Amino acid sequence: MIIVGMADSAVAKNPAKITTLGLGSCVGIALYDKRSCVGGMVHIMLPSVENARSKDNAAKFADTGIPHLLDCMLAEGASKSAIKAKIAGGARMFSFNSNAQLNIGERNVVATKEVLRKLRIPIIAEDTGANYGRTIVLDTENGKLTVKSALKGEKIY
Amino acid sequence: MRMEELNELEASALREIVNIGVGNAVTSLSKMIGKQIKIEVPELKIERIEKVPEIAGGADTVVSGVIMHVDGDINGYIMMLLSKETAEAICATISGEEEVDIFNELNQSMIEEVGHILAGSYVSSLSEFLGLELRISPPMQTFDMLGAIMDHILIEMSRNVESTLLFDTFFTLEGHRMEGILLTLFDPESMDKILNRISEMV
Repeated sequence: MIIVGMADSAVAKNPAKITTLGLGSCVGIALYDKRSCVGGMVHIMLPSVENARSKDNAAKFADTGIPHLLDCMLAEGASKSAIKAKIAGGARMFSFNSNAQLNIGERNVVATKEVLRKLRIPIIAEDTGANYGRTIVLDTENGKLTVKSALKGEKIY
Repeated sequence: MRMEELNELEASALREIVNIGVGNAVTSLSKMIGKQIKIEVPELKIERIEKVPEIAGGADTVVSGVIMHVDGDINGYIMMLLSKETAEAICATISGEEEVDIFNELNQSMIEEVGHILAGSYVSSLSEFLGLELRISPPMQTFDMLGAIMDHILIEMSRNVESTLLFDTFFTLEGHRMEGILLTLFDPESMDKILNRISEMV
């Protein structure tokens, strides 16, 4: 099992599983090419690198992390036209936020979709929003994405 | 930012101040539930923000978490993270009931209140010792994966800074093996303010 940390990404070929743990407002993006069985995952924290004080970690932002992940997958032999996306996370864990920041989870989801649209990568499964945490596991054998939660059970996409 | 060049004296002064604060907090919890609570001397770490969930026990560890924002002269967060067993033990002790369902509303707000009282005495001790004006926000409480509970505050911090000053204090409830963690995060600017106060005092 390859563990992708917060603001981190990884690419692997079958046989391997890639996971990221405890997504709340963050979004986990799993990309998969069925033909080459190359899979990738990134755990983003923020929508955009723009306005960020420190830009050194591409995997932290949707607009840099997803293209970077795509490049890494292509380098591993994936073909762009075959890649499909599954996304999870972007929850709103608490209904109120002391500093009146807008719902960052939702903004991460919106940004993720926008980046994928620009890259012409179709989203074939989505488990986002609500108010609970998610752990996701991508199986590079078949592209199945398992979404686990603390109290809401497990789903396979 | 002086974060990377913290000297030994500064580090031990910081550790001591947090130790006093956490000590007071735990004493108030101890009084509340009428049980002895042991704490470990807090460890001080300067870490990249993304690493915090791992340090706190693993992003997918399921805990009962209470988060409070600290603002005023310094900016940071205090989090109380309890295992399910510890949360149950605390609720059982306060309510006097043997069977505790920590998901019912009453027990949820009990945990929330415990966190708030803990953080309140912690912050007032820091405030008094350092002569700084500090406030805590109302508590946010939920039962979920640790990474999910705290990622929005890490996101918030990571907008401006790369690293955080982190203290994690494990405490053990008498007669219960399960533990809880009191986690404090301060941004680098706040740490500079604290260090300045310390150097003025010595």
